[in-house]
Amino acid sequence: MRHIFLPLILLLGLASCHSIDEYADNPRGNFEALWSILDEHYCFFAEKGVDWNEVHRTYSARIGDEMTREELFIVCADMLDELRDGHVNLSSSFNTSYYRKWWSDYPQNFNKRLIEESYFNFNYRQSSGMIYGFLPDNIGYIYYESFSATVGEGNLDNALYFLASANGLIIDIRDNSGGSLTNVETFVSRFIDKPTLVGYISHKTGPGHSDFSEPYPITYNPAGDGRIRWAKPIVVLTNRSTFSAANNFASIMKLLPGVTMVGATTGGGSGMPYSSELPCGWGVRFSACSMLDAQGRSTEAGVDPTPGCAVDLDPMDALNGKDTILEKALQILLSN
Amino acid sequence: MLLRNLIISLLTLAIAIPAKGATESTDSVSPLRPVFAAYTFEAGSGHLADTYLTPLKYSGWHMGLDYTRYQAMGFDPDNWTMSLQGNLSVDKTDNPARNATMWDLMLSLDWGMMRKFRPLPGLTLAGGGSTSLNAGCLYNDRNGNNPASAKGSWTVNLTGYAAYQWKIGRLPVTLMYRPTLPVTGIFFAPDYGELYYEIYLGNHKGLVHGAWWGNYFALDNLLTADLHFGSTSLRVGYRADFFSTKVNNVVTHIYNHSFVIGISGEWLSFDPRRPRSGRSRIVSPIL
Repeated sequence: MRHIFLPLILLLGLASCHSIDEYADNPRGNFEALWSILDEHYCFFAEKGVDWNEVHRTYSARIGDEMTREELFIVCADMLDELRDGHVNLSSSFNTSYYRKWWSDYPQNFNKRLIEESYFNFNYRQSSGMIYGFLPDNIGYIYYESFSATVGEGNLDNALYFLASANGLIIDIRDNSGGSLTNVETFVSRFIDKPTLVGYISHKTGPGHSDFSEPYPITYNPAGDGRIRWAKPIVVLTNRSTFSAANNFASIMKLLPGVTMVGATTGGGSGMPYSSELPCGWGVRFSACSMLDAQGRSTEAGVDPTPGCAVDLDPMDALNGKDTILEKALQILLSN
Repeated sequence: MLLRNLIISLLTLAIAIPAKGATESTDSVSPLRPVFAAYTFEAGSGHLADTYLTPLKYSGWHMGLDYTRYQAMGFDPDNWTMSLQGNLSVDKTDNPARNATMWDLMLSLDWGMMRKFRPLPGLTLAGGGSTSLNAGCLYNDRNGNNPASAKGSWTVNLTGYAAYQWKIGRLPVTLMYRPTLPVTGIFFAPDYGELYYEIYLGNHKGLVHGAWWGNYFALDNLLTADLHFGSTSLRVGYRADFFSTKVNNVVTHIYNHSFVIGISGEWLSFDPRRPRSGRSRIVSPIL
């Protein structure tokens, strides 16, 4: 009989190895669950020089058994702020934490109304999240506010056909806080004429802080036959609120031939966000996969403008109906 | 020379085996091999966990449709039977705080062959192997870039059954217990923190894993009673299905307990072009 039961015991023993760590739904349990989720999955500890164990020591001391959910939320949100990451959020039914200093500590460098009023007199085309039209001296302009707004191939065909006679194109992604990378690919495919390496992606291969996969190259193909592609000079306008997918777009465009990036360093957000949750039901979102540019560099801290093209919006210019960053772009395109 | 002799020996053996069968089939009329088929619905509790999606364990309900088929095998109908099973199931579960929902949709197909033994009157034991294809997905509606965890596997299993025929009063009843235990195979799993977006981009490295009990454990237990009221029987039963994997530090649990109800019966199909013999005996697919 022993011969029968031995394999069964072995089998049940192997299966019981598939255990999942569980945390109690109390302040301590939720705090430990949150710390562990980040500890095992967050991808920028080393890059940002964050000592997560030290963070645990600091914030664990603030956890008490009697604290309310609101008090626990504040401690947890403060702990997440240590990551200095706009992709990190803690979501409860009463609040969502959000680290804002990645943009609030910088000049905004953008006023949409200034463009709409001073340059277009509110007379522009609008389609699928884009507004576009002609600026003085026959320069085309597209403002794309969010990569969450899906742009169809037909929308892009129409916009680029409409602007086809322009001598150059300005793509303004200031205040674009990101969205879908699929829309980034749709856009970029109009500005390349051959399969192009646009970056790399690397994911966690285990819970250790240095467990990362080999960066996998990302290649975009040009838009298909019959689609309109743009081959004239381009200037991309950015500010600190150019974030996430827009940051990715900036990192790709900057390295394409004939493209100049003007404005301020982007806000970063190069970690692909991943979702999880705590025993109390709060959701947590954080950077899990690092996206690198085509030269293998991280853009989590942002993408710098082309050398010599870093410009801030001068408030005096704005009062006079001028967008300093846009004026710089016009100057570059007209000098080509 | 040795190779030539070996090939000749193998060819002779290959010709001799069917010839032996053919000789036997002409000695007696081929038996009739009815098909046993059961169509059942199952409902019960579902328990899901997948650390790719969440560290929490979800619980809720489970439902499924199942088709099971047995038929004695042509080459040795008295001693061998084959089975085919298809199952489509869905689980809807909630997290402990009940503010998030996780779904599980799973389709499985299993084909097996079993050798029958009859140690006691009315009791049939069968043991053998089967192979399964499984495909499905867990979906957590609160997640952004990691909302789904796809499941896919091909496994080779140990399987068998114990069937016992008895009566409740004048009502014939067939009790049957069938476990199925995957032993090896291959299964799909992304890396620890790999998003499906990266797979979409073309990185297919390391997605397929060899299965063994250390990383892939599943056990399906089906206990049924076929109540033979007439030519069609009522099938009631209980299913306990356990599925657990641990690969790339990602753990998945899918546990179901469900009540089974449906109909079953045996049927025969005749080819009108071939003459029927009144001397044909019928070989039970199960007993």
